[in-house]
Amino acid sequence: MAAHCDFSSLELLMKASSKEKVVKVCNDVYVMGSSQSDGLLSSVCESLGTRPNETKKMIESLSSVLKTIIFHGYTEPQEIQSLFPKDFHKNLRDLITKIALDNMNTWKTHSISTQVSLPRLVDFDWRLDTKMASDSISRTSVPTCILQMKVQENQTDVKTTPENHNINVELSKETLDTMLDGLSKIRDQLSSVARR
Amino acid sequence: MDLSERGLTAGKLVDMKWKLGVAVCSDECKSLNSPFVAMTLKVADASGKISTHTFELTIPQFQNFSEQMKDMAARMEMI
Repeated sequence: MAAHCDFSSLELLMKASSKEKVVKVCNDVYVMGSSQSDGLLSSVCESLGTRPNETKKMIESLSSVLKTIIFHGYTEPQEIQSLFPKDFHKNLRDLITKIALDNMNTWKTHSISTQVSLPRLVDFDWRLDTKMASDSISRTSVPTCILQMKVQENQTDVKTTPENHNINVELSKETLDTMLDGLSKIRDQLSSVARR
Repeated sequence: MDLSERGLTAGKLVDMKWKLGVAVCSDECKSLNSPFVAMTLKVADASGKISTHTFELTIPQFQNFSEQMKDMAARMEMI
């Protein structure tokens, strides 16, 4: 991946007025993805005070370097530094290295939240009811639970946020107890996975 | 059939299947080791038609879900 990187274009980062600006640019580039995003291009141009044409190339190269670093999960500065050509500006190289190491966990977590996945549970609500009567029975007292789960589908159109759909279920005590059995089995398996 | 079952309902949960998985790696991370829970719920509507819903939960979400279900069951005992 680093082979596609035009390291000389990264020198545009030197135009930043402060280290914090470079940190912001790196974060925006990794999190907002490819240079096709207009929001990313204008944000970076603003941070550096540079023109879109020259910035585009820099964003592509920076994106390529950062993605390579996160892909390999480097933990040692030397591993990252070895990606850069020997004649590359040393201070800039070390700054990018430090920023990547500092943000490694945050970016990895972001990557996990956007990875290939089934639809995701984003929220759930529940309510406990007591059934007191119905058209077929005049008096009763049956506890029941209404559970609403909000599931976010995978994105189908790149420009719009994916739809949420609701799953509404009613659970009797017996059903809930059975569900809890299943959930406790998952918890047991989780602790044994965590121990490995 | 229990009379109290015949009432207006919001879909009855008929089955819950689950899978605990670990994402090993992805196109963005060579080494992930990120566990997740996947579930398939089968819900029967008032007419008996069954629909399935499959989704993933992160581990913190799963733990929150699990805690709240336990909480709910405890409250149900008190009614």
